[in-house]
Amino acid sequence: MSEVKARDEAVRDEAVQDAVMQDAPFPATVRRGRGGWLRWGWRQLTSMRTALILLFLLAIASVPGSVLPQEGIDPSAVTQYYDAHPALAPLLDRLSLFSVFAAPWFAAIYLLLFLSLAGCVLPRTFRQIGSARQRPPRAPRRLSRLPLSASFVTALSPAQALESAGRMLGRRRFRLRAEDSWVSAEKGYLREVGNLLFHIALLALLISVGLGGLFGYKANRLLIAGQSFSDTPVSLDVLHPGRLVSASDLAPFSVTLNRFSARYVTSGPQTSEPETYNAQLSYTSSATAPVRHYDLRVNHPLTVDGVSVYLINHGYAPQFRVTDGHGKVRFNGPVPFIAVEQSGMTSEGVVKVPDALPTQLGFAGVFLPSAVDVGGRLGSDFPAPQNPRVSLVSYAGNLGMNNGVSQSVYQLDLSRMHKLNIAPRPLAVGQSMTLPDGAGTITFTGYRQWISLAITYDPGQLPALCSGIAALAGLILSFMVRRRRMFVRAAPGPDGATLVEVGGLARSDAAGGFEVEFAELAAELRTAQDGSPPPAPAVAADAVRAGAEDTSSSTREGE
Amino acid sequence: MPRQSHPTCRAVSRPGLRRASGALTLGVAAALAVAGCSGGPIGENTPQSSGQSFVSGSGTSIYQPGSRDLAPDISGTTLDGKHLKLSDYRGSVVVLNFWGSWCAPCRAEAPGLGTLATRLQSRGVRFLGIDMRDDPTSAEAFMQTFRIRYPSLNDPGGQIALAFRDTVPPAAIPTTLVIDRTGRIAARVIGSSSYNSLRKIILQVATGHPATAAGATP
Repeated sequence: MSEVKARDEAVRDEAVQDAVMQDAPFPATVRRGRGGWLRWGWRQLTSMRTALILLFLLAIASVPGSVLPQEGIDPSAVTQYYDAHPALAPLLDRLSLFSVFAAPWFAAIYLLLFLSLAGCVLPRTFRQIGSARQRPPRAPRRLSRLPLSASFVTALSPAQALESAGRMLGRRRFRLRAEDSWVSAEKGYLREVGNLLFHIALLALLISVGLGGLFGYKANRLLIAGQSFSDTPVSLDVLHPGRLVSASDLAPFSVTLNRFSARYVTSGPQTSEPETYNAQLSYTSSATAPVRHYDLRVNHPLTVDGVSVYLINHGYAPQFRVTDGHGKVRFNGPVPFIAVEQSGMTSEGVVKVPDALPTQLGFAGVFLPSAVDVGGRLGSDFPAPQNPRVSLVSYAGNLGMNNGVSQSVYQLDLSRMHKLNIAPRPLAVGQSMTLPDGAGTITFTGYRQWISLAITYDPGQLPALCSGIAALAGLILSFMVRRRRMFVRAAPGPDGATLVEVGGLARSDAAGGFEVEFAELAAELRTAQDGSPPPAPAVAADAVRAGAEDTSSSTREGE
Repeated sequence: MPRQSHPTCRAVSRPGLRRASGALTLGVAAALAVAGCSGGPIGENTPQSSGQSFVSGSGTSIYQPGSRDLAPDISGTTLDGKHLKLSDYRGSVVVLNFWGSWCAPCRAEAPGLGTLATRLQSRGVRFLGIDMRDDPTSAEAFMQTFRIRYPSLNDPGGQIALAFRDTVPPAAIPTTLVIDRTGRIAARVIGSSSYNSLRKIILQVATGHPATAAGATP
């Protein structure tokens, strides 16, 4: 009796230990001999807790990337930051805080997370493959000792009862192991599969994101209506190629902006808010491909050869004609101005005329789409061009462009320019302003609209999306599915009937839920076998034992 | 100071992992995207910053005769309205200069290019400009200022530059390509070229052997 009990306990212990192991990311080793610390370190690294901490750290480490200007996203903002914080900026630069996502410490977190996940997933996969091949364990002797148990008496022979139980559990997709006096069944292997799927998908996500960093690229281009550009370095404003991307890898498409239109709310509390943007593009996927048309809208990117072209900004480009002091037209075209506020799209920009004679000319301008007089000051009260005016401050001298140092087209280097003595007055389309000292004339000839495009190619995007979905599916699976075991024993009872005992054990999940399923299964089994309540428990226990020790004879009886 | 480095000739930063993590921490990426839409960074989208180079350092590459790519037979309309194609120059060494009147480094190298074009004409060297992202009035004014007498093809949309995609693509404005007598690309200079070094390269290509300091005087 005591020996049987001990064996029963052993079975339970094994089950409990299994359950614990299921949730441990790595088998717990207790030995700590030679290399024990190494093993301990590896175990710590591959533990679920470390992985979570690393994931959290990765998120935190990205924060400076959105708070501080980033070299890769907006290099001019970094320069501005240097000017504003001359003492702090070099320190931040040494900590790679202006290129967070390329920083060594960021890479360290990323790689550790990768290692942690890989170290967790691989051993588990092997264990899972092993456990998938294992048969369900032997049924414990005393099913009444299990957390869940039931019993009934049936007129069927023990063999028939077991066969019927096996059929039913098989129908419920339990994996079966049937012996003479018992049936053992296990179900819920998908839990571990889901768990593995989650981890592998997380790994795949990291890999696909790295893929984008190697083979993807990102670019920007400002395009005035009527202009076109090609997807090649010299035709782009900013280009950030992946590590393995060269100019020849850029998709050879060309895009022309035919027309841009924006609609704004004209009344109510949301007045001046944009309603729709529409950029009518024509494009060719290569020099020899036919011309196609596309209406580019916000969140409706144009896709050419897997490269996405997004509409990210828009603005006005007033057009000017500048005649120099010698009476020659030295400039005639649109200049993109940048909006400094959104409700009226008041925009600022500069016009540079480096080839004007006798001196170079520069203008700093404000464009007002819907000019209104607000208490003696000019402003714009609507973003659409209802009453376009441009106001210019004029400069003459040396623009500093001929010495080869690049400068922004949105800024005038005034160090060698002097302001011309002419008060800025708002010009309507067609109006001119004659500069003093015979420096020339500037005419506001009209305006166009411009759009700003973000061009992105990320080969890791689709794999990353799929990995994300797979990770979620795996997570759901591992939460929803429980690993559980059913045991059925049947033995001849004292009065010629068969005593059927049913036991249930839910592995790997302390939370309830299995009780209901177990009760259903037990009830169904009982109904199927037309069972009736069992005799007194004490007798039943004896009967089970008797039955277990006399299996062969009962089987013969059944035949 | 690294911040003030020449944007035109600066090697492109390699954003390896930065995009990686951006996608990983989706929330942060979204925040960045929102910040991007609110207006600030548009100031970067300037023709002057278009110069992106895949080559750091001096930016000069010279290709040996056996490993030269055939230049595409580009064609187009010159600033003064004539139709022109590169193969019209077959038999001459062609110096192809990608420029724009708005581009400060182009303005710096322009006097040297103009002089070289005149001085090397007798040696069978022809210059051809590719005017990028420019308007004809400004381009015309530029050519008058620097007394540029060689023609330039108008390439506002970059299609001519795109034609070099599979050979030796121009990586910045300015970029200068030297094409040998058989129509193959023999050298590329990214960024503002200096009179002396460009002259040396051109003569090397024209004579077929490295120029010596003394023997190459025109």
